[in-house]
Amino acid sequence: MSFATTSLDTGMTKQPHSSTETAPGNMRRATTAPLDIETVVEELKELPQPVGMPLLDDPKYHTRDVSVFYNETKQAIFNVDLDIGRNEVIAMIGPSGCGKSTYLRCLNRMNDTISGCRVTGELLLDGEDVYARSQDPVLLRARVGMVFQKPNPFPKSIYDNVAYGPRLHGLANNRAELDEIVEDSLTKAGLFKEVKDRLNLPGTGLSGGQQQRLCIARAIAVSPEVILMDEPTSALDPIATGIIEELIDTLRQSFTICIVTHSMQQAARISQRTAYFHMGYLVEVNDTNTVFTNPEHLLTENYITGRFG
Amino acid sequence: MNKSVEIGHHTSQQYNHELEDVRNLLLQMGGLVESQLAKALKALLEHDSELGEEVAFSDYKVNQLEVEIDEQCARIIARRQPAASDLRLLLSIIKSITDLERIGDEAEKIARHAIRTNDLNSGKLNASLRHLGDHVREILRESLDAMARMDSPQALRVARSDSQIDQEFDLLSRQLLTHMMEDPRTIQDSLNVTWCARSLERIGDHCKNICEYVIYFVEGKDIRHINLSRQAGKEIAASQTAPETVPQRLPAGLDPDPDSIQS
Amino acid sequence: MNKTTATIRAGLARRYARERRFRRFGLGAIIVSMLFLFILLFTIFSQGVSGFSQTFIKLDVVLDEATLGVGPGATGEQLRNAGFAKAISQSLYTLFPDVSSRSDKRNLRALMSSNAPYRLMGIVMDDPSLLGQTYSGWFLADDDIDTYLKGHVDRSLPETDRRLKDQTLGWIDRLEAEGRIEKRFNTEFFTNNDSREPEQAGILGALMGSFFTMLVTLLLSFPIGVAAAIYLEEFAPKDNWFVDLIEVNINNLAAVPSIVFGLLGLAVFIQLFGVPRSTPLVGGLVLTLMTLPTIIIASRAALKAVPPSIREAALGMGASRVQTVFHHTLPLAMPGILTGTIIGMAQALGETAPLLMIGMIAFILSTPEGITDPATVLPVQVFLWSDSPERAFTEKTSAAIIVLLGFLILMNLLAVLFRKKFERRW
Repeated sequence: MSFATTSLDTGMTKQPHSSTETAPGNMRRATTAPLDIETVVEELKELPQPVGMPLLDDPKYHTRDVSVFYNETKQAIFNVDLDIGRNEVIAMIGPSGCGKSTYLRCLNRMNDTISGCRVTGELLLDGEDVYARSQDPVLLRARVGMVFQKPNPFPKSIYDNVAYGPRLHGLANNRAELDEIVEDSLTKAGLFKEVKDRLNLPGTGLSGGQQQRLCIARAIAVSPEVILMDEPTSALDPIATGIIEELIDTLRQSFTICIVTHSMQQAARISQRTAYFHMGYLVEVNDTNTVFTNPEHLLTENYITGRFG
Repeated sequence: MNKSVEIGHHTSQQYNHELEDVRNLLLQMGGLVESQLAKALKALLEHDSELGEEVAFSDYKVNQLEVEIDEQCARIIARRQPAASDLRLLLSIIKSITDLERIGDEAEKIARHAIRTNDLNSGKLNASLRHLGDHVREILRESLDAMARMDSPQALRVARSDSQIDQEFDLLSRQLLTHMMEDPRTIQDSLNVTWCARSLERIGDHCKNICEYVIYFVEGKDIRHINLSRQAGKEIAASQTAPETVPQRLPAGLDPDPDSIQS
Repeated sequence: MNKTTATIRAGLARRYARERRFRRFGLGAIIVSMLFLFILLFTIFSQGVSGFSQTFIKLDVVLDEATLGVGPGATGEQLRNAGFAKAISQSLYTLFPDVSSRSDKRNLRALMSSNAPYRLMGIVMDDPSLLGQTYSGWFLADDDIDTYLKGHVDRSLPETDRRLKDQTLGWIDRLEAEGRIEKRFNTEFFTNNDSREPEQAGILGALMGSFFTMLVTLLLSFPIGVAAAIYLEEFAPKDNWFVDLIEVNINNLAAVPSIVFGLLGLAVFIQLFGVPRSTPLVGGLVLTLMTLPTIIIASRAALKAVPPSIREAALGMGASRVQTVFHHTLPLAMPGILTGTIIGMAQALGETAPLLMIGMIAFILSTPEGITDPATVLPVQVFLWSDSPERAFTEKTSAAIIVLLGFLILMNLLAVLFRKKFERRW
């Protein structure tokens, strides 16, 4: 008898639930039919509700039934229900094109800049509707900072890079205050020691890892509440990646961090919760420990173990 | 049931092969241990000291396999960073081989008794020991079977039946005690039998561990130190009949219950 | 060696031969175009360099009261009416006392350019103390003399086929022997306006006309072009048929023959809006129309070349779109925009056809002093001169072309320098 063909289709399923946290009627876990990916994906499309614990009490972000369309015809994400907790690092993983970056960009309305992009559903930041007419994207983006995949410091001096946000929003009354903000942000980003003698040199002259930390410093200079990171280390070497990951862990004290990553190991290392997206659907949200030892959903399992599908 | 317990279908074929290899080694080790135990029991019950020596001598093969499997697992962990079911598989294997190796050691102990006590002559004790031995062999076979098929219901059944072994052992112990009180000259023999029975009982415990690892691998739940008959039994039995369940992180039924933890 | 390797090896020689052949073709093309360029430049320069020099004759002019009709202490008004022409003629007669007949005397006077008396007047007005004395100085010779001295007249031809008669040639030989005739650098070429007399014609008017026209063009086309480019690139909705239509039209406008813009200018600016014709203002307007597509296309390309990550970074920091453009995108695109603008301006500087339509081809004798004065521009001046019958205008034409080319090269150099200096890596 081979392991490879043995799937537990003997009717063994999960224990009965005692929690009312998730909506009842989740069909996906209870199939007795042989497992094949198509069936699972079909079920997902019929009932797009994540397994695990997507919802929290008193979340920072409260998102319900979020869908994103490009050009009316192409739907990028489907009915995502997800809460993001305070001072947690939530990692979003999934194959390319699964919608994780799109979802992330809904959180600070960066999708606004893409023409033809339409977002439906409910996105609340501390109870305030992110997509409300009265919501100012400028204010929103000051509250929700963003770090991008490729380090993208402005072609200006290190100082000006960090000072850009505070200047833009008028957070400093004089040069001394601005100096303090810059130093403070650079220190928090763990970069101050390395660059304190060359604050006036261009930020583009730094190494990749330093540039990315400069971008983080730039983001935290306006004291945001949430920091969104879109694959922040995908362009960096392992050492620089390690430094950034360590930094993320310390930043968690003061910020809520959402990170999209292609590296499952990275998600496992730095996040408290992990959300798995598949073809625009949020499949599973769980405690990171659970996701990486005992994911509930077949698709999650297949993705993190590197299987077909 | 969406839980995938397949080894294959990784994008990396090489990974599939590596996991397949380590699983085959495990099965090979299981088979070897099974035959060691069978031979040791035969040697003991039939006073075949030659066979006993062969068993005692062959124990190194079990140890070698354990080392080999350990190395293989370490290599896979280092190179593949397994997660989820792959991770659980490797953890189960690493833990299982420790128990298998211990079973091998117990078999060796029994074999050494067989070499020394070729005048074990009490037919009644012999019969009890044979009964216990057969039962333990049966359990070992079933455990290995559950492991080979990654069959968690069977594993649960086997794990639960370990208590029968314990009962049998208690019975045999009492029998031996009576025996020794009746006739102090048989104390030496009785003690030998006790040691062997003790070994068999230990093998039963190891089998139970292996079954627990199988359940851990398949279900992703650690059911050790939980009163199986009372708690997890209900859980798993219930889940077999309930088609719809709602996922949750820590099933309430499997919360470690201080009262039910085994000593 | 396996089969693949053998096959590849067998084909290698052919492949390399083809490569060599292609390289030779390319080299040949470059050589041919360099040759043509060289021929062009050689012709222009060989003809044009002499245009910068002019023949002068040294005369000793007696500025006495008898000749001029005014004595020392004469007023400006009196001087203006004084007989300087007579003084010049007298000095010539003194040089050649053997000339007596009227026709010979007329021929003798024809040695000098018609502006010699005016020049003398200018000198005397600058320094009235010269009155009553003898002034010895260099005066412009007539263009025929100049042409002859530059070697463009064949002396061996029968006298009737020549513009210069034997008698005149004799005088020139004598003047040469006395060292009274020589070719000097022609500063008047740069300080005079157009003239019917080739030796007096200069490009100052055309230069100023070009300057004012370019000024108008730059002031209009740069802000409009850059603003249009920014809107189209940064703000216009994508995938909108109207925006697409505009884009297609802008690209097509860049390919419209320039004379069409001239017609448009004539119809719209002059007829409809009543902008004065022949002025740098209307020329600048027309050239603006012509340059806009170039500037818009170049600016859009420069804006597009700014990495989107910079925009994202700025937007992510909470900058508004306008702030993003003005803080980051535009400064980064500026070198490219400037390069495009300079190239567009260079194109406009060399443009003739549309200006013909709006009357900038007029013969203008005064230097334009503003954008509403009638003016002509350098390329049109070249066109005008090249059309003139006098032999001496040929070299003027080439000289003007050299000046024009000089400005174009300067502008292109500026474009290259801008690009080099502000080019940024990110």
